[in-house]
Order: sequence, then C-alpha cells, then structure tokens
Amino acid sequence: MGGVLCLAIATLASLGIPWTVKRAVEALETDAANAALGVFVGSILGLAAINAAARLGSRLAMIGAAQRVEADIRDDLYASLTRFPPALFTRYPTGDLMARATSDVSGVKTVVGFGGVSMIQTTFAFVGAIAAMVVVDPWLTLWAMLPFPAMILLARRFTSLVHERTEAMQGQLGVLSGRVQEHLAGMSVVRAYAMEGQARETFGQASAAYLRHALALSRIQAQFTPLMSLIAGVGTLVVLWAGGLAVVEGRITLGSLVAFNGYLAYLAWPTLALGWTLSMVRRGLTSMGRIQEVVEAVPDVERTEASRRVPRGGPAPRSRALAFRGLAFTYGDRAPALVDVTFEVGEGEVVAVVGPTGSGKSTLGLLLVRLWDPPIGTVFVGGQDVTAMDLATLRGDVAYVPQESFLFSRSIQDNVTLARPDVDQVEAKQAIVLAGVAEEIEGLPRGLDTVVGERGLTLSGGQRQRVALARALAGEAPILVLDDVFANVDAAKEEEILGNLAGALHGRTVLLTTHRLRAARAADRIVVLDAGRVVETGTHDALIERGGLYARLWRIQQLEEEIAHAP
Amino acid sequence: MRRERSRTNRPPRRSIVARTDADDEVLGRAFDRRLIARLWQTTRPHRRLVVAGMLLFPVVAAVELLQPWLVKVAIDEHILRADWAGLATIAGFYLATLAALYALHTVESYLMHLTGQRVMHDLRAALFERLLALDARFFDRNPVGRLMTRVLNDVEAVNDAFTGGLFAVVADVVTLAGVVAIMLWMDWRLALVTFSIVPALLVAAAYFRVRSRDAYREVRRRLARLNGFLQESLQGMSVIQLFARERHEHASFRRLNGDYRRALFGSTMFEASLYASVEALGSVALALLVWYGGSQIASGGLTFGALVAFMQYTHRFFLPIRDLGAKYAVMQAAMASSERIFGLLEVRPAIVSPASPSIARPTAGTPALEFRGVWFAYEGEDWVLRDCSFQVARGEHVAIVGATGEGKTTCARLLNRSYDVVRGQVLVDGVDVREWDLERLRRHVGIVFQDTLLFTGTVEANLRLGADGTVSSADLDRAVKLANARTFIESLPRGLGEELGERGHNVSQGQRQLLAIARALVYNPAVLILDEATSSVDPGSERLIQEAMRELVAGRTTVTIAHRLATIQGADRMLVLHRGRVHEEGTHQTLLRAGGLYAKLYELSMGARTA
Repeated sequence: MGGVLCLAIATLASLGIPWTVKRAVEALETDAANAALGVFVGSILGLAAINAAARLGSRLAMIGAAQRVEADIRDDLYASLTRFPPALFTRYPTGDLMARATSDVSGVKTVVGFGGVSMIQTTFAFVGAIAAMVVVDPWLTLWAMLPFPAMILLARRFTSLVHERTEAMQGQLGVLSGRVQEHLAGMSVVRAYAMEGQARETFGQASAAYLRHALALSRIQAQFTPLMSLIAGVGTLVVLWAGGLAVVEGRITLGSLVAFNGYLAYLAWPTLALGWTLSMVRRGLTSMGRIQEVVEAVPDVERTEASRRVPRGGPAPRSRALAFRGLAFTYGDRAPALVDVTFEVGEGEVVAVVGPTGSGKSTLGLLLVRLWDPPIGTVFVGGQDVTAMDLATLRGDVAYVPQESFLFSRSIQDNVTLARPDVDQVEAKQAIVLAGVAEEIEGLPRGLDTVVGERGLTLSGGQRQRVALARALAGEAPILVLDDVFANVDAAKEEEILGNLAGALHGRTVLLTTHRLRAARAADRIVVLDAGRVVETGTHDALIERGGLYARLWRIQQLEEEIAHAP
Repeated sequence: MRRERSRTNRPPRRSIVARTDADDEVLGRAFDRRLIARLWQTTRPHRRLVVAGMLLFPVVAAVELLQPWLVKVAIDEHILRADWAGLATIAGFYLATLAALYALHTVESYLMHLTGQRVMHDLRAALFERLLALDARFFDRNPVGRLMTRVLNDVEAVNDAFTGGLFAVVADVVTLAGVVAIMLWMDWRLALVTFSIVPALLVAAAYFRVRSRDAYREVRRRLARLNGFLQESLQGMSVIQLFARERHEHASFRRLNGDYRRALFGSTMFEASLYASVEALGSVALALLVWYGGSQIASGGLTFGALVAFMQYTHRFFLPIRDLGAKYAVMQAAMASSERIFGLLEVRPAIVSPASPSIARPTAGTPALEFRGVWFAYEGEDWVLRDCSFQVARGEHVAIVGATGEGKTTCARLLNRSYDVVRGQVLVDGVDVREWDLERLRRHVGIVFQDTLLFTGTVEANLRLGADGTVSSADLDRAVKLANARTFIESLPRGLGEELGERGHNVSQGQRQLLAIARALVYNPAVLILDEATSSVDPGSERLIQEAMRELVAGRTTVTIAHRLATIQGADRMLVLHRGRVHEEGTHQTLLRAGGLYAKLYELSMGARTA
C-alpha cells in the first residue's frame, strides 16, 4: 500500500513540473524583467527530488512485493511437489515441471510486478494528467483527448492480433524443436544412411516456416508503436492548432499551451505501455493456470493425505512381519504388473523374490512403501494395512532401497544421513562399512566429504547403489526392502555384502529382490514370480529339486557365468 | 530390460531434461569486441538490409527533430504574432512529419526484425549443419537437451541482440548526435548550460552500470543454484519422500528461494535507482533551462518558441539514456549466447572424408570386410575390442554372436565409421574405411538397426532418404519388395504417401522394422549389416521379416549381429566374440558339436526363450 501512496505522490510531483513551467512562462510573458525565476527553478528542483524519491520508493515497494509473491508461488509449488507420488511424476516429466517452476513463475511475476506497476501508474497518470489539463482548459482537454478512444480500440485489436500470431509462431517453434530433437536423437540413423541431405531439407523447411511466422508477427509489431505515436502525435497537433488559436484569441496563456504539451508528452509512455500490459496479463494468466494445474494435481492422492493426518505415534505395528494377500496391481492403463500375489515374510526372516525381467518383482517394494498405492486390504506391515498407516511411520519402519539409486549433489556423508536427526556420523560410517563401499570412499580425495552427483564426482553405478544402501541401513529401520540393489555390483561383491549384512541384520526383516539367484540362495525362503504371479516358493535346494522355473533360471545363470568366465 | 541395456557397450548418456548447464550460466561482458565482430560477420548475406536500416536512422532522427523546431516556429512566428493562416501551414507540416514518422518507424522496425530473424535463420541452419557433420563421440558427450538449447534458445538471444541491442544503440547514438547538433546550432550558450549536467549523468551511469552488472551476476548465480536444487529434488523426490525429508528439503529450498529473491531485489534497486536518477537529472536540466532561458528571454536573447523547443529536445536527449540499462541487460545475455553458439560452430568433426579418397578395386580374393588387429574403447582404456581380427568373403553370410556387452554392435559402428578404431584397421573391399569417401562408404555398407527409428514425414520420404534424386522409383519399388513391406504399405490408407508420426509411432513395431529394412536397401548396398532386433514383434511381421532376411542374404555379403541364436542357424559361418576378440568360429553344427562357448550361448538362448 505504501507503494501505491508513493506512486500517488510521485505522480502529483511529476505533474507539478509542467505546471511550474507554465507559471514560469506566464510570468515571463507578463513581465519578463521581474519574473521570479528563482522560485520556479527551486520548485522544479524540489518537485523533481520528491518525484525521484517517491518513484524509487514506489518501484521498490511494488516490485519488491511482486518478487515476494513470486517467491511464495515457487515455495508453494515446491511444497506440493514434495507431495507428488511417482504416478504424477510420470504424468509430468522433470523438464515440464522445471518449465512451470521457472518460466511460468516468472511469467506470473511479470504480471504482478511490471504489469501491476504499469496498470496503477497508467491509471494515476491518466487521472492526474487529465485533471490538470481540465484545470488549464476544459475545451482544449476535450480536443486533446479526441484520439485516445481510437488508440485504446486499436491497442486492443493489435493485442489480439499479436496474441494470435504469437500462438502460431509458438506452434511452429514446437514443430521445429520436434524436428531438431528427432534428428539429434536419431543421428546414428542419419549418419548410417547418409541422410544428411534429407535432414537438412526437413529442418530447413521447418526453420523457414518459423521464420515466416516470426516475420508475420514482426509486421504487426513493427506497426504498433509507430501507429500509437501517430495517434498521440495527432493529439499534440490538435493542441498546437486549437490551443494556438486560443492563445491568439487570448482565451489561454502561452504558458498553458506549453503545460498542455508537457502533459500530453507525459501521457505518451503510459499509453504505449497499456498495450504491452494487456498482452502480458494474458500470458500471465496462462502461466498461472499451468502452475495451478500442478498444485491441484496433488488431490489425486487424497487417500495418502487422509492417512497422513493420522497422528504420529498412533497404533505401532504389532510385529515386523510383512504380508501380501491377493495383491493385484496395474500401472495406469498398462498390462497388469501383479495378478495375484500372496505370501508372507515372518519377523526376522530373509525372503528373496526372483523371476525373469518384467515379472513384477520391483512393484512389490514400491507398493510396500506406498510410492504407489496398493488396493486396500492387500499389503500389510506388522499386520496393518499399509494404506491405513501414517506414511511417516510406515516409511520409518520400512527402509526401501530402489533399483535406481539417486544421489544428491552433496557430500557422501550428507547423502547417507540426509540430515536426519536420528542418524549421527558414527552410525553413518557403520552403515557405509556394512554396505561394502567404505574402502572405495576412503580412496576418494576428500573421503566422506567428497561431493558427488551432477555437480561433483561421478561415482560408478555400483558405488552409487551401495551408498544408497548405506543410506537405508543408517536409519536402523526394522524392515529392509532391497530392490535388486546389487545389479551393478559384481556377483562376488554382492555375496560378500550380503554375508556381512546377514551378520549385522539379525532380527531385521528383509525382503530382497534380485536378478542373481546365487545371492538369493542364502535367503531363508525364495519366492519365484512369473508374469505377476507367485509360481514357486521354497528354499534353494527344494526349488532346484522341483525342476520348475527356478531350476531353469538357475541353469541359465550358470551358463551365463560359465560364458563370462571362459578364458 | 534396464539391466540388459546398462551392460551393452554404449557410453551412458545424460538424461534429456531441461537442466541448467553450468556453462549456460556464465555471463560475458555486454560488449565483447571479438564477439560483436563475429556477429557483424553473420549479417554479411543481409548487408543490403542492414545498410538500408542504417540509412534510415539519420532520416528518422531528422524528421523527429524537426517536430520541436516546428513548434518553435509556430509559437514565435505565428501564435505570438496572431498569424492564424501561418499556424495552419505549420500544422500541415507537423501532420506531414507525423505521417512520415509512422511510415519510417514501421519500415525501420521491420527492417531490424527482418535482419534479426534472417540472421537467426542462418545461424540455426549453420548450427544444424555442424551438428550433422559431428561424429558419434561428440553426441555421447553432449546431451541432446543441451544441443537443442543452442539451436533454439541461444539463437533467439542473438536476435534480441540485433533488434533490442546493437541496432537500437546505433539509432540512439544517431538521435543523440542530432539533438546535440541542433541544440548547439539554435543557441550554443543555452545548449552548453543544458549539457553541463552530462558529466553527472555519466558518473551516475558508470556507477550504476558496474553495480548492476555485479548484482545481475549474483542474480544469475542464485537462480542457477535454486534451479539446480529444484531439478535435483524432482529427480530424487522418491528418496526425499521415503526418508520423510520433505520438510527439511523444503526448508533448504525456501532458503535458496529467499537468497534469490534478495539478490533479485538488489539488482532491482540499482536499476530503479539509475532510472530515478536519470529522470531527476532530466528535471534538473529543465530547471536550468527555465533559469538561464528565462533570463535570456527577459534580456531579449531568446524567444519563447526556442525555449519550448529546447525543453522538448532535452526530453529526447534523456530518453535513450534512461533506457540504456535495459539494452545493457539484453546485450549481456546475447553475448553469452553468441559465445556458446560460436563455440559450437568451431567444433571440428573428428570423422570426415579424406581429402583424396581411395577407390576400392577389389580383386577376386579380396575379402569384402576385414578387421585387422582392431582395438576400440568408448572411453579411455575400457577396451571393448582388443586385437580383434576376422574376414568376411564376398557373398558370405556371417553371424556375429556373443554375450551382451561383447562388442557385437560396436563392430557395425566401426564398419560405417560412426566411430574410428583406436588401433588396427577396418577394411572394406581391401581399403581402410578411413580412406573411403564417407558417403560412398555408408551407401556401400547398409545397416539395419536394432532401434528402428523413423522420422516424421511420409513413408516415401523415410525410404528415399533425401530428395536429391539419387533414389529412383524403381530402386524404391525393389527395396520395398525385397523387404516384404509392399503388402503392408499398400494397406495404408495413403500408401507411400502415408504420414508417419514422430518417430513413426503410428505403425506397429514389426511394420517399423519392415520399413527400416526397406530403407537400408534403397541404395542396394553391397554389404548388409543386420543388427537383429531384440524387442519382440507380432508373429505376422516376424514371419515377413524372416522371409525378407532369407531373400536379402542371397548373393550379398551379409553380417548378422545375432541376439537370438535361433534365427541365424542358416549363416555360412559364426564368429563368437569373447573378451574383445573372435573366440570361436565355424558353422552352427561344428560349433555346437565342439561344445564350447557357442554351445553354451545356444543353450542359453534356447533357455531364455522358454523361461
């Protein structure tokens, strides 16, 4: 509000300057020799100082407020993104969300900031200048204002034309960017068939079409400002003519005419800005809609929200057992991932789930920690339906390590602790040793403080997986779900780590999915999945004996090993 | 599937997302002479447009500056003398200047945009051309997303440099020069009094420019951090959620968000201060005019009209200076973008045709293909092929087999020079591939890829591989027939004219493979490399593909890169790749009987089919 007040003061002060000039000219006109020029000069300087200070204040206040709004919007957006389940991340890819959080947020800011300031400024300028002009001479004001309605109409017409052609241009930009993407991604094909000529041609066509659209827009835009100036100039001309006549007839003073010219010049900029502001508002509204869409997408997981509200420290799991009962699950409209899965993992038991690629192994873990929501009454932790559990409690009890390990661009230490209050450095270190990656980390230049990830050192896939494992181990969760976490670690290392874990994990319940049957062999029990169904269950020896899918998979892996180890 | 892929020998590519690259955040100087010189070079083909635009500047300035002069004449000679008729004439002149300015400004502005857009079009084409010439290793290192930014966004910033920066600055300079000249000519003493504030103006501008540049850099730095954090959060959101770190991460985000906001406000403050100071100095100039001009009028040394005209000239003097800040920011961004564009344009492709290519003149005994002691690694010393040697005779059908990651596909990539060997030689018709003309080589060796990538456009355009007229309709017919694709193409509503969506998504996987085979055949290549598809296709297409394969192989040197051993038993010879070299070779029967690696691979392949 302070900003608006400042703007009002600034407007008054800046309108006062032409007024002072008018009085100075009048004084010079009547008695040039005795005109108190010092007073006028002083007033102009004083008004200029007030105007500068007030205008600065208003700009800072209003743009500052707009920047605050921008920060708040971004903050809200982040808050809702932290509640996004994986299902929504598949609908909105990272690039799309980034675009919304950057260009759309700044689009909204531009409207609130620049748009807001220029709206208020324009209003004040018009009201102030017209009032001042009416005081000088109502008739002349009427003459001077004659072109403005035409100007506003034209501005609106132009704005919609500009909008239309901008849309067309953006559409063609999409086509062009599709062509570029396609050829860059398919460069191996372009190269192999010496298709450079064709690539050049299709690209050239899309680029030329874009050029045409851009120029169509330019033609409109090139006319816009000059046309507005033309109409405003006609106002000046009318004032010069009608006002000059009035001066000649002695109805107004020369000073008034000068002041009038000053006010008209004063209005030129806000009028021009009007058109831009209108199109900016339109763009800003689209951006706001795109942000809102993301923020409102979260109610999709209302159920998650409802259960989240269950107070922490509600009924604790009675045991650390896991159970899947008649679980069927489908991702969106794809083929079913799990058809009918029933098995239990007893407290302190180690169960391995194996099966061919695409058999649904990974889905089990995702549903257990509710990264995807299972149907009600199918997945149980400690005898409780996970869909009815408080998310924080569930995830505190079940440490889940996904197949794709993600490390933040932070130190390894921070990646393991994740700033959890209940994980100290000692624990982190123990977890790292247990995960079998301690030696390699010691070999890094800065040890545990080495920054990894996008802006740091690139660890190998196997190292990343083990750091992610350490992260899960550090929390001392009673239940551990490991989803093929050794996929990028060699078989010997995997067995070594599992051996270490077996000693350290006694009492913890472990559900382990793996590609490598050798690693599964040590489990208390093995569950074999095929096409979303449990087809066999038992110990390694029993399953080999049975001669079913497990036995076949075992033979395949033996062959693979033999081939890999052939001299 | 995912695991499988990570084991093949392909350098990992970074994901294609709108990531803020570190090198996208570097800000250059606003006026780098070397870069401006290069930008100027890009206007060479459009020099006439530029010259026309430049010639307009003084004309526009002259007409603009005529207006206050007309006002002066109107006041002094007509209004103050009550000369009604004369005033009408002046008004007529004024109307003429208005109309002229409308036309001139429109043309001027359009010329600027036209130049900017055409330069942009040229740059886009040059960048794309360069990308077409670059080799596979370059694409392994540079994610597609980053390259797209070069071709689309950076080029846009260069357009801004022309329309909002360079040309606008030149136009402003011309106008300023005109204003100064006319003021000095009208009354040099009054002009000098007005100009006495110029030093203050320069000091203010210099001070704020340095400060706002630093502030702007800080803004960019903070923004890069904020976006980096956001991007990472999005990628690792499930980790954040799993460990219930939402609040903690949100707090970190809020801190970065606040840092950015404060930096932004700092930069706003300098910009707003500059704006306010320039405006205030403008008023000081006005005050000086009233003071000195007023006393001159009193003493009869100046007319009213001249004073009014002076006021208007002073106004025009300050306008461009006030907007300098905005132009500075545009130029700064444009310089950074042009640096990146020219950087990419300067990258030299590592694989090019030799200056004087050899023409192969094979004799009867020359092998069609030969690997001679080939060593190859995608990265460093991570050898995929180590001292690998084998020959393929003319007309022979050879299958390359081996476990995943043994370099089977790599052999194909070396044969068409997607990559060059590190050591050793790859020879086609007895001539090292590095001595072949690149285009000739690639038409001589046809490859059908695992990944059947098609392009947006008609079926025909996808098969013709370019409209340069080298592919006749007869060639096209023969290829379509050979590939067993005729029935399928005829079943499409528009036949060969059917439009394929992006990456050929509106035809089935099997149909895409048929098209890919036909595409490899249009040049009737002497050597055909079939990188067998790993993904399954519908049984109908599968049968057609198998039939086509049998046809193709007849009498043609063929290398099948086999992932499923069931389909290649008819090959003349098997090469078993293991540990970077040929470990076993022979026919299916002999190798199977020998009970070595091939026998195991075969059993594995059969087992995997039933598993």
